Amino acid sequence: MDVSEILAEHARKEQAVIVEKEVPLEVDAGFLTVTDPNPIDEESYKANLEEYLQSTARDGVQVLISALFSLPTTSSPDGPLAQLPPPTTQIPRAKPLPKPKPLTKWEQFANAKGISHSKKDKKVWDEEKQDWVNRWGWKGANKAAEEQWLSEVPMNADIDFDPAKKARDERKARVAKNEKQQEKNLLRAQGAGPSSAPPERKREIDRTLATTRVSTASMGRFDKKLEGEKKLKGVKRKFESTEVSSEKEKSQNLSILSKLDREPTTKKAKGGEAVLNVRKAVRAASKGKGSAALARDSNAKKGKKGKR
Amino acid sequence: MRPLTEEESKTVFTKLANYIGKNLVHLIDRPDEPYCFRLHKDRVFYVSESSMRLAISVAKPNLVSLGTCFGKFTKSGKFKLHVTALDYLAQYAKYKVWIKPNGEMPFLYGNHVLKAHLGRITEDTPEHQGVVVFSMNDIPLGFGVTARSTVDTRKLDPTAIIVFHQSDVGEYLRDEETLF
Repeated sequence: MDVSEILAEHARKEQAVIVEKEVPLEVDAGFLTVTDPNPIDEESYKANLEEYLQSTARDGVQVLISALFSLPTTSSPDGPLAQLPPPTTQIPRAKPLPKPKPLTKWEQFANAKGISHSKKDKKVWDEEKQDWVNRWGWKGANKAAEEQWLSEVPMNADIDFDPAKKARDERKARVAKNEKQQEKNLLRAQGAGPSSAPPERKREIDRTLATTRVSTASMGRFDKKLEGEKKLKGVKRKFESTEVSSEKEKSQNLSILSKLDREPTTKKAKGGEAVLNVRKAVRAASKGKGSAALARDSNAKKGKKGKR
Repeated sequence: MRPLTEEESKTVFTKLANYIGKNLVHLIDRPDEPYCFRLHKDRVFYVSESSMRLAISVAKPNLVSLGTCFGKFTKSGKFKLHVTALDYLAQYAKYKVWIKPNGEMPFLYGNHVLKAHLGRITEDTPEHQGVVVFSMNDIPLGFGVTARSTVDTRKLDPTAIIVFHQSDVGEYLRDEETLF
């Protein structure tokens, strides 16, 4: 029996299945990806590009499929299913890194001064009760001074001095102060910090100061200069650029013209706008003699009527 | 050189409207070429857009004039028309006065127009109206303001003033050094 033919056949099959490269291919079965890190063989690349690409792709797919077949499988009505391992390739993150939380005022100060701050425990040890109690809150240790059944009263205290009330007020004030600080920190974090724009009052003062500085007889020219006084800056005039488009300029000019037509500036022009031309009317009524003559005539007529 | 501000445009336009009235639109909205008003060293120039763009490249101290000088702004912000604007005023003038040949020389020497020299006048010219003065053969000589309305002039004696002199072409010689 001649088995050489069968052996050759098997060897060819084996050759087709096993891929050997200088640098082994990297398989990531989780993403069903194969990466070929081998350098391109320039000769065959230039000789026949299509064939070279096809052979490289075939090798890659071959390696991937043989890797898939080596995975553990589960049987299902549609046939065996391979269980993919978790992917190994690192993929860049889709979203940008989260921004660091804005520092509170205290944190900024501590950073600047190099103060390291260790977080306090919420519970503290109470020697009297021999138990852990809350630092604040329900049955908190910060209320200890208020709950003493006996407390020392200072010598110069008022008659109605209440040490429990005083301690409570102080504690409430501390809480209120902390809440205010928190609010300010929140505001600062939003970017609308109190220091972003000078308050209205300060701007008002600046304006008044600027006015008074030029309100002397020499318009501030020969006044005594204070140390650190800044030079006054006037309002700079702003003109349109010389090379505005002619269309825009024309429309602007026409709009100015139409405005002028609407509200005539001179008394004469106002008279011209009226429906009745008074000048012409007077001329026609007085037969060219003028308004004075017209008035005289009408007075004379009235006088005659009165005599009758 | 810069465009006029709105306030300045208003001043210029009211002054021009005194002579050419509604025809002012034709100066702004021209069919042939876009023209614009430019201010340079207090003088207002009426210039085509193309030559204005050429003048942009000339430095401010070196630029003497461009286009047609219409007049200048006084220090108090009033606008004074120059005789150089006469070409445009004569073209679009609403009210005109023609003077006889014997009245031309007195007017060109800067005198007012007398009734004796009056050749013709536009009907219905009101009092204190800007008018353009022409010679009898329709050559523009200058401009001024009427002293009386057309009707009132009929009764006046020949030496009475009809048009107050404002500007005349004689200024091209008399005010040569300050005009432009």
